[in-house]
Amino acid sequence: MKVSAFLGLAAACLLAFAPVAQAAPKDTVTVALQLEPPNLDPTSGAAVAVDEVVYGAVFEGLVRLDAQGAVKPLLATWWEIAPDGLTYTFHLRDGVKFQDGTPFDASIVKFSLERAIAPGSTNVQKQALSVIRQVEVVDPRTVRLHLSAPYSDLLYTLAWGDSVMVSPKSVATLATAPVGTGPFRFVGWRRGDAITLVRNDGYWGQPAKLKTVRFRFIGDPAAAFAAIKTHEIDAFPDYPAPENLAQLRADPALKVITGSSEGEVILAINERVGPLADVRVRRAIQHALDRRAIIDGAMYGYGTPIGSHFPPQNAAYVDLTGLYPHDVAKAKALLAQAGYPNGLDLTLKLPPPNYARRSGEIVAAQLAKAGIRVKIETLEWAQWLDQVYGRHVFDLTIVSHAEPMDYGIYDKDDYYFGYHSAAFHRLMQALEAATDEGQRTAILGQIQRQIAQDAVNGFLFQFPRLGVFDARLKDFWLNAPTQTIDLRAASFGGAGGAEASTQTTSGAAGAIFGGVLALAVAGGLALVAVRFGAAYLAGRAAVMLLTLLVASLVVFTIIQVAPGDPAAYMLGLNASPEAIANLRHQMGLEGPAAQRYLAWLLGLLHGDFGVSYTYQTPVAALIAERIGVSLPLAGLAMALSIIIGAPIGALAAARRGKAADTLVMGLTQIGVAIPNFWFAVLLVMVFSIGLKWVSAGGFPGWEAGLVPALKALALPAIALAAPQAAIIARVVRSALIDTLTEDWMRTARAKGLTAGQALWRHGLPNALIPVLTILGLQFPFLLAGGVIIENVFFLPGLGRLVLQAVTQRDLIVAQGVVMLLVFVVVSANFLVDLAYLLVDPRLRSRAR
Amino acid sequence: MSRARRPLALVVGGIITSGFIAAALLSRIWTPYDVAAFDIDHRLQGPSAAHWLGLDHFGRDVLSMILVGAGNALSVSLVAVLLGAGIGVPLGLLAAARRGLVDELVMRATDVVFAFPALILAILITAALGPGAINAIIAIGVFNVPVFARLTRGSALSLWTRDYVLAARAAGKGPARISLEHIAPGLASVLIVQATLQFSLGVIAEAGLSYVGLGVQPPAASWGKMLADAQTLAAIAPLQAVFPGLAIVITVLGLNLLGDGLRDRLDPRLDGEP
Repeated sequence: MKVSAFLGLAAACLLAFAPVAQAAPKDTVTVALQLEPPNLDPTSGAAVAVDEVVYGAVFEGLVRLDAQGAVKPLLATWWEIAPDGLTYTFHLRDGVKFQDGTPFDASIVKFSLERAIAPGSTNVQKQALSVIRQVEVVDPRTVRLHLSAPYSDLLYTLAWGDSVMVSPKSVATLATAPVGTGPFRFVGWRRGDAITLVRNDGYWGQPAKLKTVRFRFIGDPAAAFAAIKTHEIDAFPDYPAPENLAQLRADPALKVITGSSEGEVILAINERVGPLADVRVRRAIQHALDRRAIIDGAMYGYGTPIGSHFPPQNAAYVDLTGLYPHDVAKAKALLAQAGYPNGLDLTLKLPPPNYARRSGEIVAAQLAKAGIRVKIETLEWAQWLDQVYGRHVFDLTIVSHAEPMDYGIYDKDDYYFGYHSAAFHRLMQALEAATDEGQRTAILGQIQRQIAQDAVNGFLFQFPRLGVFDARLKDFWLNAPTQTIDLRAASFGGAGGAEASTQTTSGAAGAIFGGVLALAVAGGLALVAVRFGAAYLAGRAAVMLLTLLVASLVVFTIIQVAPGDPAAYMLGLNASPEAIANLRHQMGLEGPAAQRYLAWLLGLLHGDFGVSYTYQTPVAALIAERIGVSLPLAGLAMALSIIIGAPIGALAAARRGKAADTLVMGLTQIGVAIPNFWFAVLLVMVFSIGLKWVSAGGFPGWEAGLVPALKALALPAIALAAPQAAIIARVVRSALIDTLTEDWMRTARAKGLTAGQALWRHGLPNALIPVLTILGLQFPFLLAGGVIIENVFFLPGLGRLVLQAVTQRDLIVAQGVVMLLVFVVVSANFLVDLAYLLVDPRLRSRAR
Repeated sequence: MSRARRPLALVVGGIITSGFIAAALLSRIWTPYDVAAFDIDHRLQGPSAAHWLGLDHFGRDVLSMILVGAGNALSVSLVAVLLGAGIGVPLGLLAAARRGLVDELVMRATDVVFAFPALILAILITAALGPGAINAIIAIGVFNVPVFARLTRGSALSLWTRDYVLAARAAGKGPARISLEHIAPGLASVLIVQATLQFSLGVIAEAGLSYVGLGVQPPAASWGKMLADAQTLAAIAPLQAVFPGLAIVITVLGLNLLGDGLRDRLDPRLDGEP
């Protein structure tokens, strides 16, 4: 009876969120990105994903770059540059309005640019833009920039996402509710899953053809393959799994586009480390590398070998791949010459992306053949930024330098690989002074040679651009030099259809479940207070609070100890120390740890979990959103495990000692032994990739309708439930066997009940006690224990929120979620204890 | 539980576990192929006479990788169990011997550890300490401590009421000596059974941590990492995901059966039950 009541409750809760399902419109495009943007403000922070989502679509700047890298007009229709290069006059487009109604004029330009260079600004281009001495409003349609020194790259800098025009009214909420002048406007963001833009009907230019653009975040290569194969995704401009491209090419409904990106993948060598300061050792490393094997092994053949830090598609490219041919003997000889006849030991620190991890394993094996013993350490991005990029604690690392024309990093003081060369510096000066294109090309060639001859880094390959698209999608343009996805002209051939409603209703499910939970707790407490007295209850509650307090201290300590600065993580590779310091201040990361702990604890006490560093929304709202996925998933898994496990256990108990019992118990042994994430992978292989019955990952949201939502949760729930069902079957069986031997069961038989009736009326209810205990204890673990399952299926649940928060050093989110989970565990234990007391009279006397 | 099944569980569990340990030890001195040898031209080959379980995405012999993975699973889980028992058992003995405040402190400390969902705490620990075999051992071992502490305390409390312990006290032996000479030996069988079960949980936990990249680091092989690597290849080489998974399931199954079998054989509490 208790079980059916629980199921009824769960079903009712699920049904409550079943709005009418909608037809899929074909003027909606779903674009997948590997990384979710931390926030949507392109003027603060360096995350590429921010520009990919909002730059060009929501936000526009004065000028833009075309595919060839030429500067084109956008909000400025034309401009004049004074001969001395110190004054730029921009003539602004007429009739442009922000999506919040603010008209665009010269005062907006002044506001936007002054905001970017103001003290306290966290704009990544702050240093470059600071060349602007004054922004003069000539008239509403004309603005003049006065520079403190000539700066030939100013127009390029203005074409970056960092220099977009913003509406003064909106700056406080840019991170979460961006407002720009672009062809699309922002409508909703389900964190961890999707961002939705819709067409801006008041756009000043040619309106977009697509009505809705959804960005979804899929970084996992397996999930990416399944999503594109099942057409959940229309476009994957930066597809993460080269191993599957051959198969996708064979699919006529898909279009695969491969090309070169601006990213050079390098084996960076820390020249500050003793042996690596010796050019002979660095050259030995070059000879030990076999680029072809790296490209084949890590990238499945996609990628162009490079011999220096320069993209092969550029006109000034010089092929230097033959400079150090793969030659193990030569490498060993060079090492011996340098004084390392027995080789040497180095560490190779690898950031998370697959290209780096896979290349790293191959590079390590190749270097080992030449006698260089490499120890691999894998790092999260936050750790990589801290150790490798920030503090230069590394020997070797592998990373893609995605910025175009970034050879200037070899001239930077104290850059992470620590290269210093007077010759190179002279070349850079000559380049800046160069006036004609022929001269420039010649110097660029010398620059490439200089870097290669000094064997500064191991140059592996030019990162390929791998895009997979729905074959019907037209005019989808990837603006090559800047990180933007231009959708203003994109359409599906002959599109038309219904409008999609995309408002997200956050955490309604969570709210109701939370309410039910609170009611249950209150009821239980009242009952216990009445039966056992308030003193007993107070004692138990004190222990519980103490546990929570100590746990909070443990959580805070562990998380604060974790290396990696959240501010540095958010601002990325090009941030100035000043910008990082500003952001740290904004995030409240300064001050003694004890003080911050107390502030956090006090906040928790009145339900304030703080504000997420990366998402810049209240942590409580994030948690509420995620509970809307995790709680139904845990409930569904629990229901399934009971439905499957209980009858099996009862059957085994009834047939105790017979063949059926042995068989069933043997099977449950196997069930308990299966790791749920492996089972999940197998389920995806069979039901998503093989049979295509259900999607392989992601969550459409409850507002998409009950059926799609339940379909998305089906496989994860089965994967979670399977080992659980085996445990329940075993518990039910032994509980039933125990009760069957009790005296009152014999009495029941004696008064004339059949074995079945006795089992049903007297056996089952009593056997339910241990089963309910197990359920009560397992529930919080299902809620949190789905971490890996949520990762396999890309569900935006609590577990993934923790994992993501930890890797992004969003400390306050990690602390909040872990504390919530701890609270649930402690409460569940408490409730189970109380339930025991209520059910088993023998325990009551002890409690008093 | 039928009498017929008892020896069966013990025998099957014992055979599988011995095989697992033998494979783990063997991998330290010999594997069919060198797992550091990459052969990218022949990657993702299916099973053949030369490579019984085929080649992986770097052209390494999968059977050799699974043997090395067994060594990794064995060492991580075994050390985690020893760590947990090494700290937990003395704490449990202490709590049972001293009672009162010490007991209360030990029990509340175990409450705090149990208040964390296991995997979440493991993720936090590896985030703070960095990924790697040692830190995986710590993350898993932390959970073994309260398990052993509580089990030891509970069992020891009942032993303290036995006549022979009372006799020892009457003879003037102190609590520490009684704990070591009279209580601890009586706990051996219970602890061995629990150690076997924690061992099997450790194998699954290690695989889970390696799967999310927080376990042993490449090029060392681990079953969880093999699964993670195989997942992206599910569409072109599905067998890659099958073999490491089977290795986990068979090992855990063996350890569980062994634990159950040992319990039936050793645990005095089950005496006389049908």
